[in-house]
Amino acid sequence: MDKEERRWLFVLIAVFLVFNAFTLSPLIPWQGWLLWSRPEPSQRFAIHAEDYRFELPPGGIEFGAGEYVEFVATSGDVTYGFGAFRPDGTLVFQMQVLPGMENRMIWRFDEPGSYDVRSTEYSGPRHSEMYVPGAIRVIP
Amino acid sequence: MAQLGWQEKWTLRFAVVGLLFLALAGFEGLLMRTQQYDLEALVPMEGVLNTVRMGAEPTQEELYFSMMSAHPIVGIYGFVYMAIMGAFYFLVPYLVGKGVRYKKLVPLNFALQPIGVLICWAAGFFGMFSALYTLYWPLPVSYDRVPLLSSVVFMIGAAIIMVNILLFAFNLFSTVLSKNNPHSYSFWGFLRSAFGINRLMKWLGREDKGAPNLDHDGLPVFLVAVGRGSIDTVINAFVLLTAGVLILVYGLAALFNSPLDPLAVNALVYKNWFWWGLDMVADGNVLIYTAGIWYLLIPLLVGRELFGAKVVKTVIMVDLLVSMGVWSHHLLADTRQPTWMKLLSGQFITWGEFFTMGLTIFASLMTIWLARPVKMTPALKFVLASIFGFIMGGTAGLIQANTGLNMVFHNTQWVIALHAHTFLLTAVSSLVFAVLYALVPMLTKKEFRYPQLVNPHLWIWVLGAVLNAYAMGMAGSQGMLRRTIYEGGVFQGYVAAALVGGVLMGVGLILFLVNVIATLGLGEVIGLFIPDRWRRQEKAAPARA
Repeated sequence: MDKEERRWLFVLIAVFLVFNAFTLSPLIPWQGWLLWSRPEPSQRFAIHAEDYRFELPPGGIEFGAGEYVEFVATSGDVTYGFGAFRPDGTLVFQMQVLPGMENRMIWRFDEPGSYDVRSTEYSGPRHSEMYVPGAIRVIP
Repeated sequence: MAQLGWQEKWTLRFAVVGLLFLALAGFEGLLMRTQQYDLEALVPMEGVLNTVRMGAEPTQEELYFSMMSAHPIVGIYGFVYMAIMGAFYFLVPYLVGKGVRYKKLVPLNFALQPIGVLICWAAGFFGMFSALYTLYWPLPVSYDRVPLLSSVVFMIGAAIIMVNILLFAFNLFSTVLSKNNPHSYSFWGFLRSAFGINRLMKWLGREDKGAPNLDHDGLPVFLVAVGRGSIDTVINAFVLLTAGVLILVYGLAALFNSPLDPLAVNALVYKNWFWWGLDMVADGNVLIYTAGIWYLLIPLLVGRELFGAKVVKTVIMVDLLVSMGVWSHHLLADTRQPTWMKLLSGQFITWGEFFTMGLTIFASLMTIWLARPVKMTPALKFVLASIFGFIMGGTAGLIQANTGLNMVFHNTQWVIALHAHTFLLTAVSSLVFAVLYALVPMLTKKEFRYPQLVNPHLWIWVLGAVLNAYAMGMAGSQGMLRRTIYEGGVFQGYVAAALVGGVLMGVGLILFLVNVIATLGLGEVIGLFIPDRWRRQEKAAPARA
């Protein structure tokens, strides 16, 4: 290996280490609980998806800001996605909802407000209908 | 035009058909982008087309997603694979110094690939097959949302494509390995070399140090890349074939009123298997073939030997090993996928591509730099454009292939636009143009008729591709999902900008096609597809008269 190649390789290694160390650390907020602390959720919400529809808990999804809650999603037919979106359309979190198994995600919402739910995985031509505005309410 | 030889003629045939598929894929892209802007925009046109479709009138959503299911098949297996087959059927025998091993397979490959692609396309156009190319289980066998007959037809088309790719890879390997040449390589020797096993054994002192090392003593670096990339090609075709056969079995069972239980197949296991195979294209043969073509073209274009040739052969081998273990980056949003697999396969091994492509691009650019002053030929300009595309698309890919950041990027427009379409349009397509700008004069002994069209082609194409990808990538960073129809004007500004990018690419492609046809002559282009014996009869007839 030439001197120039070695130097370039060191640059690549440095970028690899810095980028991965940053993105695995709690500097990306959810990495703090998804990878490192694994907190016990204060509430669990069961969501079922079937025939292009979300079935949400009868009492709705409501909890306090800063609480750890767990979403347990199941599917009765095909693969769906479960995504929470801010009112401006940006994504908060998402997970795939595979049939025949429980798909779990622990999350903490820091900002009070209402959040929309949308399927983030294509499930057939009517997939775009799977949109529930204001499905999640986070209280102060 | 000089009298074309057998191989030259087949290469041009593959290239012309490949470019037609690129035009079709581009047209589909423009139509879908138009529907994304306004779902009802194509209603008048579709009304006319519905007259040739049998069955009930499809909804706009069914039309949109069935076009989306056919689009990647046309783009990847129609355009890219036809271009690769044409180029490799010329370059591999040329570099090995002997003819194609099984000549009869060449016309068979040429026929089967478009047949398979057009069957898949027809399953979408006529049958509204809309399970997309990712075929997540059990959607393709959920016949309440995907028409049964179209699912069966699509899988038959896909199976033809995969079998054809296996035949192509077999012919390539056979050409390199056949015994009627001074360099003979056994199949196992080739495989051992491809995976670097004999080098490893030598390094460990456990093998005869005098044993032939195909990497360094035998094959040119381009052939090492073709060999290693083709291992990924074979695995890809085999895995997708198994998935297709599984779906076909479910389809035929349903067709004969004996439906099978979709939940008998574990969706997560299927997804791992499917992505392991599918990713061999995106993270395997595309990168390795590209590296091989850069390593072949750049030294030829700048008149200097490749910088760091020994290192790049090792890099290609590492790329092959990396490509076997990266698939989990497609499953980072699957909470049932084990965390260690997401971290190891999805993130860290995927970063292996950062090293292999980083070193590949470094070797390529150093070769050009050390050869200064270089003549900026059309082929070299497009090689540089393709390098830019790989840097841009690769960076976007590494950002999304991250356990943390994937949370907000998975399945957004970022993934398909800034990563996948940058790879396909700015990187791979530019490389295909580079190869054609280099090969056409080589095959026909004619220079391009309008050299003044090269720069407009380059800049309009690249600007269009970047605008298309960047606009939708930014929409993705704002939460716009892929494969989702938004109503009420949300994200319309981004979609309009991407539409302009698509039109620009169309203009760039037209400039290139005009130049190709003007160079070869329209009669010669059409004549490529007239069987030789008919042409001989045509020429003989006036003499007899």
